[in-house]
Amino acid sequence: MNKKILLIILLIFSMVIYTACTKEDTKVDIPPVGDVGESIDDDAQVGDTQEKLDFNGMTMNVVTTSEKYVELFDAFAAEVNAKVEFLSMSSGEVIARIEAEGGKPMADLWFGGGVDAFMAAKESGLLEQYRPIEIDKVDSRFVDQDGYWSSKGLTVVGFLINEELLGEKNLPIPSTWAEIADPIYKDEIIMANPAISGTNYGAVKGILDMMGEDKGWEYLSKLNDNIPFYGKRGKDPEEKTVAGEFAIGIIPADKGSFDVAEKNNLSVVYPEDGIAWVPEGVAIFKGGDGVDIAKAFIDYMLRDENQKILSELDGKDSAQMIKDGVSGYDLGLPKERLIDQDISTFGSMREEILNKWEELTKGK
Amino acid sequence: MGVRKKTLDFLDLAFKLLVAMVVLVFVLYPFVAVFGKALYRNGRLNFSEFLFLKGELFLVKNSIVSATLTAFLSTLFALSIGLMTFFASSRQRKIIMFILLLTMVSPPFIGSLTYIELFGRNGLITKQILKLSINPYGLWGIVSVQTLGFTSLNAVLLMGYLDAFDNTMIESARSLKANTTSILLDIVIPIIRPAIAVSFLLSFIRSMADFSSPMIIGGAYNTLATEAYLSIIAKGNSPRASAMSIILFIPSILVFLVYTYFSKQEQRASKSSRDTKGELKKTGLYYAIMVLAFFFILWVIIQYSAIFLAAFTDKYKGDTYFTFENIINSIPYLKDSFIRSILYSIIAGILSSLIGLILSYYSYIKNIKYMRVLDFISNMPYIVPGTFFGLGYIFAFNKWPLELTGTGLIVILNLIFRQIPMSIRTIQNSMTQIEKATLNSAKDLGAHSLDILKDVVFPMTYSGLFLSFSNAFISSMTTIGSIIFLVYPSKKLATLVLFDLVSSGKYKLASVLSVVIIIICLSVSLLSYRILNRGRENVS
Repeated sequence: MNKKILLIILLIFSMVIYTACTKEDTKVDIPPVGDVGESIDDDAQVGDTQEKLDFNGMTMNVVTTSEKYVELFDAFAAEVNAKVEFLSMSSGEVIARIEAEGGKPMADLWFGGGVDAFMAAKESGLLEQYRPIEIDKVDSRFVDQDGYWSSKGLTVVGFLINEELLGEKNLPIPSTWAEIADPIYKDEIIMANPAISGTNYGAVKGILDMMGEDKGWEYLSKLNDNIPFYGKRGKDPEEKTVAGEFAIGIIPADKGSFDVAEKNNLSVVYPEDGIAWVPEGVAIFKGGDGVDIAKAFIDYMLRDENQKILSELDGKDSAQMIKDGVSGYDLGLPKERLIDQDISTFGSMREEILNKWEELTKGK
Repeated sequence: MGVRKKTLDFLDLAFKLLVAMVVLVFVLYPFVAVFGKALYRNGRLNFSEFLFLKGELFLVKNSIVSATLTAFLSTLFALSIGLMTFFASSRQRKIIMFILLLTMVSPPFIGSLTYIELFGRNGLITKQILKLSINPYGLWGIVSVQTLGFTSLNAVLLMGYLDAFDNTMIESARSLKANTTSILLDIVIPIIRPAIAVSFLLSFIRSMADFSSPMIIGGAYNTLATEAYLSIIAKGNSPRASAMSIILFIPSILVFLVYTYFSKQEQRASKSSRDTKGELKKTGLYYAIMVLAFFFILWVIIQYSAIFLAAFTDKYKGDTYFTFENIINSIPYLKDSFIRSILYSIIAGILSSLIGLILSYYSYIKNIKYMRVLDFISNMPYIVPGTFFGLGYIFAFNKWPLELTGTGLIVILNLIFRQIPMSIRTIQNSMTQIEKATLNSAKDLGAHSLDILKDVVFPMTYSGLFLSFSNAFISSMTTIGSIIFLVYPSKKLATLVLFDLVSSGKYKLASVLSVVIIIICLSVSLLSYRILNRGRENVS
């Protein structure tokens, strides 16, 4: 009996020590060979970057919005001899966590998520300044003028529509924002809380930019009457429309949503009176061990062939790509209908907009 | 003899010190850290974060209402199942036990999502079969999903208690011509009252702290735990989240105090082997119990079948078909994160049970005063939402001398101490069955305090230890809230992968992963049940 207990205790201890030690193994402190970080900064010639980078198996930690980028990360890791580990998190979590940890970054690269959070992180001094190669080929609206963040693409807002359900209730299929505010759609619309969902924040901000402050809020209040409650996860509108719980969901429209629509006999509609959009941010955290790898990654991501891969992974229409001359899927996204949005106030007005929105929708 | 006694005395002291130290460092300190965050700003006491109480007092009310209903219903169902097995043959008991163990595992989010598919506005059962149009969102949605999730554990807890029931009392009552209803009401239920109280308490607290079910099924019915969580993920506002968690604390602590007060008055039940069966006439209350128990079992079977079916089906143009594609597609996700999860969960299961056993021994059996204080402190992690306890760990362990952020150790410690309260409750629940006389006679025979722990208390709390281990293992395998802030990209756990799939809408793959998690948990619980049962047979 005694021996058994001793054995169990020993076993536990060895496990604890094992797991404690695995941490030491993965943390590589060796600095990269040569001056990799410097050489790819501004003073380098474009030709130099073709030179093969080698990070000696060091690790770059990434926080991202989804696991779907693994292919891109793996290809990059193989090219520069680094390891890429990633974790998906919402933007709010990323910021809360870094602040809780006393400003110590939990990752090197921040890949994806509404750009408003990136703007906030820049204000809090969490980001590293960097101007990627080829950034001049990206529309300046999608890049921070001080070089703290750039983008990887655009999220556009569309409607996911359950026509069968609408048919059952004898309701017409809507194609504009104006139509879905009609009281006939009461309790048939689901939207996510814009404080949680970057896409839905984009929708609110887009509507305000498109209609102007006063008209915009008037509209949102009418729309609010049709929405029984707001989803507390970004994926809620899609899931609940697919499940037939609601007839109309406000969703990020991309290839994924078209696929979901096809599978479940739904349809995706780009609103005819204006399509709201949000740039998805990319940035480097200040002070991590893998800052140089993260810089190399952004350069890598902006290369034409990798933009192409990214457009496939994200399932984006050509109009959602940020770099000139890169084409994606043809999902019929009419570029001219994108709302003329003011990105500069995207972050600075966030709190004000959300507070007002919370007031408006209290109790939902 | 002298040397042995000295060593044992030393070990005794070491155990006490060690337990006291870990509880203070890994439970109390993170709490203090969070409280500090909520109450202090720029070094001054500041209550501004509590202003939400003015406009949003309904959050507190909502939490209490839903927690009370959930606790009541999940205890009622559990009691029915427990009493039903009391009448059942041992074969039937085994089947029910299997179903309960299976359904003790509820991977995060999947429960609520499946519930919507089945019982939603367009649910398979509610709309397609029963032709009803029911709005599942709101108070009753939350209560239903939580009841489905919590009842199984409560039932196992009650069954463990009923197992040790002294049948001679029923026999004599029967020979005195007492009817079934009065036997149940006058004898059985009063005796198992402590276990009923524990299951009510645990469900109440669990429900108060659950943020994920209200998030999906709550609709416009918001609770404190959900708001606290959203304050972080949506606003990045951890002081507000901390303040909300502190408010959450109060009703839970009150319920807990009431419970401790009443449990002190309870006598310890006597332990007896159960060889006679309580064959009772099937009248009155018996049928009520059967109806409730069967209703719940049917409900839970439908729910879990739906998860399993989702793993094997897919849709095209709205038509469902069978496929193995989900399984094949999920293989890349079943990598190291699963192995890491299993490893961490085993460690958490064993260590939380061991610490729980030692702590319970000193506080409950030996009744040492300061150990009772520690006992109380170590219950705190259960009372708060996981995110709160996770935040506490970040605040507490991000700088020297305990810089643990970014390691696997901080995650394991968090898992262990989050499960300690449950371990203590289940272990103490089975300790109620140890008679004082047994302990005293061992003492009179000159047994050292540690000998009693090892040779008397340890073997007699097997059922509690089993439940403690498997519960801690299962909870660690399925937990998300407390570790979501602690895990680093290179240390991902299975639930985070699952969370990822759910939040990117890959519901089918998420179902496969849930099934895998359920199977792992079930195998581990059955295995530990076997091992501990064998141990028990060897002893008696």
